[in-house]
Amino acid sequence: MMWVETIINGILYGGLYGLLGVGLALIVGVMRVVNLSHGEFIVLSAFIGVSLVGVFPGVHPLVLLLPVAAIAFGLGFVLQAALINRVVTRPDPFAAILLTFGVAVVMRNLMVEIYGADLRHLQAGQLAQASTGIGGLHVGVLPLLILALSVALFTGLQLLLTRTRFGRIVRATADHRDVVRLMGVNPGRVYNLVMGLSLALASVAGMLLAIRASFSPYSGVERLLVAFEVVVLGGLGTFWGAMLGGITLGVAELVGLRLDPNAGPLYAHLLFLVGVLLRPSGLFRVRT
Amino acid sequence: MTLLEVEALDTFYGDFQALFGVSVRVEAGETVALIGANGAGKTTFLKSLVGLIDRRRGEIRFAGESITGEPAERISQLGLSLVPEGRLLFPSLNVEENLLMGALNRRPGTWNLARVYELFPVLRERRRQSPNALSGGQQHMVAIGRALMSNPKLLLCDEISLGLAPLVVDQIYESLGHIRAEGASIVLVEQDVKRAAGAADRVYCLLKGRITLHGQARGMGLEQLSRAYFGT
Repeated sequence: MMWVETIINGILYGGLYGLLGVGLALIVGVMRVVNLSHGEFIVLSAFIGVSLVGVFPGVHPLVLLLPVAAIAFGLGFVLQAALINRVVTRPDPFAAILLTFGVAVVMRNLMVEIYGADLRHLQAGQLAQASTGIGGLHVGVLPLLILALSVALFTGLQLLLTRTRFGRIVRATADHRDVVRLMGVNPGRVYNLVMGLSLALASVAGMLLAIRASFSPYSGVERLLVAFEVVVLGGLGTFWGAMLGGITLGVAELVGLRLDPNAGPLYAHLLFLVGVLLRPSGLFRVRT
Repeated sequence: MTLLEVEALDTFYGDFQALFGVSVRVEAGETVALIGANGAGKTTFLKSLVGLIDRRRGEIRFAGESITGEPAERISQLGLSLVPEGRLLFPSLNVEENLLMGALNRRPGTWNLARVYELFPVLRERRRQSPNALSGGQQHMVAIGRALMSNPKLLLCDEISLGLAPLVVDQIYESLGHIRAEGASIVLVEQDVKRAAGAADRVYCLLKGRITLHGQARGMGLEQLSRAYFGT
């Protein structure tokens, strides 16, 4: 019984991991850029959440998801417009990697300056402890909410990309950046919006993760690692793959912790290693 | 009215000069052919017109307005539409979505999705398919349709017969007749001299970045064309 609950909780948190990765997957898919500061933005969102909780003490952190996501969208837009767009047209992928690496380092140190190096936590109050009975099993209410939110966001993203005019433009720009200019589309502006979206998704994941686990300005690297593993494990080019990749890692981590309480995320990383060795192109790769 | 006036165009890829003093004129309603061998500069010329190449000298005027320094995004809104060499369809979009992309810059006119499907009925059958599932000729149809969706005043066609069987090329060129009938002017860039010269009112020949011949298509001898094409 306990095992089933563990696995279920793993699935539920796995949705969160998927959310951590989907923003990264979006950027890689659309502009072939690996944003090495993705993890730092995840952590920054959590810090902004903490600040906002300080300013509005009565408000539950979950309600703050929307304003934090909006702020993250704006930051992503500016990051792309001011910096990344300068290097995205170069054939050499290193420029973008170095640039975002630099951004990550600067951000990390700025956060230490502003917030200090202590571990923080986002309090979700009763919600974090509450559990409900489903079919005789104890399932956390918060993890259920998180999974529901993750699925909703994933579905929303899919629909945005496949059913809307904007989504069409994004996909076309990802295919042929020059040809869309012939149709009046400015690729730079498309990238600005996509980066905003990427960081908005990352910020939701960041806030939710901060409720579950404590964080510091140095947590960015860990978050980036998870995001990376989710994207690669799931397979480049598919978002539901990222979701499933996240779930796989989530289950592996919680099962591993039950087996070996000192392991931390070791088993998740081991699973990733095995997965990549056996199927390098991802578990759920979609034909490009 | 002179729809397109290109005066002494020099175009560069970095330090490499690809076009030397190219002057071309297209009157409203005309079909003009630009022929030349591989590497003569035909695609470079078209790309310069639509604003995809930054380094250029000389004057380009479209419908009386100077477009010489303008970026591609702006030029695309003025009624100049390109069917690119190699089609360059969007593989992540299906046929219909590819056509709809062409309508982003839609100017008032007769061309819309229904009319394009009328012109190329096979596309309606395959409209939810990926462009990769289509034959070469059908992909050319999508590329042309996509360019038509904006209702261009001037349609630039880059090697629309390339790699296609003669019967399919016949079909494509027949569609040009319908396009012409709706009022668009056309620039046909081709390696196939007979096809292009046969469909055009006037012909220009390009060799190593320079115009070597220019005149009425009717009455232009094969000898003359050969000399200008090969530079002998």
